[in-house]
Amino acid sequence: MKKYTYNQLSVLQYILLIHGAQVGIGVLTIPRELAEKASTDGWISLLIGWLAATLVSLIITNMMKQYPEKTIIDIFPLILGKWLGRVAIALMSIYCGIAAFVLLINATGIINVWLLSQTPAYVVVFLFALPTYLVIQGGVRAIGRYAELVFYLTLWIPFVLTTAYREVHWLNLLPVIKEGWHPIWEASKSTVLSFLGFEFGYFAYPFLQKKQYASLGIVIANTLTMLVYISVIIVCFAYFSPDEIKEYTWPTLNLWKAIEFRFLERVDILFLSSYLFILSTTASPYIYFCVFSSSQLFGMKDHRKHLRLFLLLVPVALWLYTPSFIDLKKASQIWSYTGLFFAYALPLLAWGPIKLSKRAEGGKKA
Amino acid sequence: MRGWLRRKKTSVKDRMSHSSEPIRVREISERLSDNLAELNAIFTLTPDLVIRTFACQHIEGMVTLVYLNGLVDKNSINNNVLRPLLSHPEGEKSSVFDLLSVGKVSVAYDFRKVETEILLGSSLLFIEGRKEVLVIEANGWPQRAIEDPQLEAALKGGHQGFVETDTQNIALIRRYIPNRELKIKEMWLGERGLTKLSIIFLADVTNPEILQELEDRLKSIKVDSILNASELEEYIEDNPYSLFPQFLTSERPDSVASHILQGKIAVVVDRSPSVLIGPATFVSFFQNVDDYGTRWPVATFIRMLRYLAFLIATFLPAIYIALISFNYEVIPLDLILSVGESREKVPFPPLLEAFIMELTLEMLRESGIRLPAPIGQTVGIVGGIVIGQAVVQAGIVSNIMVIVVAFTAISSFIIPNYDMASAVRLIRFLMMILAAMFGFVGIIVGLMALIGHLITLESLGVPYGSPLAPARFGDWKDLFIRLPLWKMKDRPLSAHTIEEQRQGDNRPREDG
Repeated sequence: MKKYTYNQLSVLQYILLIHGAQVGIGVLTIPRELAEKASTDGWISLLIGWLAATLVSLIITNMMKQYPEKTIIDIFPLILGKWLGRVAIALMSIYCGIAAFVLLINATGIINVWLLSQTPAYVVVFLFALPTYLVIQGGVRAIGRYAELVFYLTLWIPFVLTTAYREVHWLNLLPVIKEGWHPIWEASKSTVLSFLGFEFGYFAYPFLQKKQYASLGIVIANTLTMLVYISVIIVCFAYFSPDEIKEYTWPTLNLWKAIEFRFLERVDILFLSSYLFILSTTASPYIYFCVFSSSQLFGMKDHRKHLRLFLLLVPVALWLYTPSFIDLKKASQIWSYTGLFFAYALPLLAWGPIKLSKRAEGGKKA
Repeated sequence: MRGWLRRKKTSVKDRMSHSSEPIRVREISERLSDNLAELNAIFTLTPDLVIRTFACQHIEGMVTLVYLNGLVDKNSINNNVLRPLLSHPEGEKSSVFDLLSVGKVSVAYDFRKVETEILLGSSLLFIEGRKEVLVIEANGWPQRAIEDPQLEAALKGGHQGFVETDTQNIALIRRYIPNRELKIKEMWLGERGLTKLSIIFLADVTNPEILQELEDRLKSIKVDSILNASELEEYIEDNPYSLFPQFLTSERPDSVASHILQGKIAVVVDRSPSVLIGPATFVSFFQNVDDYGTRWPVATFIRMLRYLAFLIATFLPAIYIALISFNYEVIPLDLILSVGESREKVPFPPLLEAFIMELTLEMLRESGIRLPAPIGQTVGIVGGIVIGQAVVQAGIVSNIMVIVVAFTAISSFIIPNYDMASAVRLIRFLMMILAAMFGFVGIIVGLMALIGHLITLESLGVPYGSPLAPARFGDWKDLFIRLPLWKMKDRPLSAHTIEEQRQGDNRPREDG
């Protein structure tokens, strides 16, 4: 019955897979989003978001513990029956597909604005699809290893970022809670979404080798993500003035633009190019679980056929219609709503029934 | 024409099914003349076949010695086979078998065996009135003396390299590991050029599953002949379309012994001076036995240098192209001006410029390899002075491009493994094209694809990217840095050994 023993994840891979899925485009825009809503108190909202995400992650892990050898899409048919279960799987696949698509077009958008302004969007996405295919065709294990390696490869980023510390004004951060708690609560609505990616607990749990570390792992992943966000936010808040920051779409990139060496100008270009790595670790789990769910839905063991289809459809879609900046925003909005449901509401709703069904099952056995 | 083709096809099929269903083979007859007739029928147009019939009256009667001239050791035949048989004093009772003063003598009963044994260099003794034939191992063929290995020069290790005879090579390995757990599995391969393979491993260390996997793959090969170890490698790789070598090859017995001690498996191929080692990981191509003989800080420095060289050899021309033709805003103004000045007269786009230079270099390199040494030096002169200098003065290639290409070439020589260095050469060109099309984004996408490929690649079912991804931190002691040997108490986890510890506490005693 152990369907996933061949494809196992180590604890480190589990942590970095989830962490990789969480940190993505958000890092580039979050300082502005928070500054618009909560001014420089945004970091408190972030902590609130982190708390919420961690709690829900723990619920997810607890839920998955009931069926240690099954992913969420193996559980759906058990609880909802065959047909409703299939609908749920399809919805899950669509959710992951939407997320992956939004991530891909957003990444393409940024690259088109900052780096390759002449290259059409579908070419950029196609370019991105090639290495993604190489990784994802290897399954969860390959994605885990990829997330691991990319993590080492991005370790240099904070060190270079420290060169920006020379020009920070810590006074920008004061006073704390200057406009009361209300804006902070408002902003935490969006920070909650910055942690999307922990829902891979649904999928990654049965692949995990040492299941006893699942809860710890997911908490570490969330915390790691929180640390990344908070360091970026605080540096941005301290570097830009509270009003200036709202004018940049991607303040984090503007921060990099200011860093300069005697032999290197425009570090932001190098940074954004290598940020593609981080973007790929965000998109690839979503793509994988989208095609994984859809392949299971059609009863196929090999996910590669659907993967090829997906990775071809995205460039074709962009070739037919290149989304504008506003489209991107709308798409992200759609993802946020679905994410709110699938990552936050679903575990809260499903936890009870799953626990009960398991208890009933246990009762029958006894 | 058609009929001819069809006939040809069936003959190939026949040959392939040859091994699976045994056809009736003639057995050795009691009559010597019958046997000789059969031999003559098998070996037509074989002038180097020596058939010597002589009387050995007082022992057995007529006997015939058969061997292929040139594949036997003549001294041994004369002194240990012919002389005792011919000059045996009358009256003393004895059998032929006892008279042969040769180490290994076996018996064959049919002509299939006779045929192979003769072709492999054994001498056969047919005896009148016996339905068996004695196979005398007195092989000896043209051989090279044991020399310093050509491809991997040794700084500190032993200076003996493998030769073309497998028994010698196995002996060289055994000299390093005189242990009863060093086991050898023999295997024969090839329909026409029968080749002996010897799988060498430490029975109580090597993972039996990996060994089984290797054996299964070797057994499934059906080919005419295996000419050398690298050819064999191509048949048993995990991913035949990969650019990367998935087995290590070595010409040095100390290197092979070191790998066997780590729990890996070596395959000695007869007639090939290099030995296959598997499972290999990506980083194992950057390690060298000499590392363990140098002081550890120095060895660490050299290791780092190699990884840096790998990155430079793969990416430097690509980065240069990206900087010049795409992302010139990254370079500070003063620098870009001086680069622009040197490129002023060059009519080609950077990619073409780089291709011209890189291809020239690769051609110089290839021409140098096959040329006899005295002419080889002229290649250097032509390459270095004529092309290097003239090409810049003529304004075809910029100064900086020559520097970049030269730097890349030097870096690619630092990579200790020839196969890996060759892989890097090809990847470099792919990266250059990507960089010319998409700038830094192209390079990063290329790197992503490279990483994606490396982490999904396997060698004998063992992850190629280990110990980086999947991370095995225990092995990191011997990865980018080389810690003192007494700190590496366990065998590398990447080899999946069944016995983990390799040494006890050997930390040198400190003062006080």
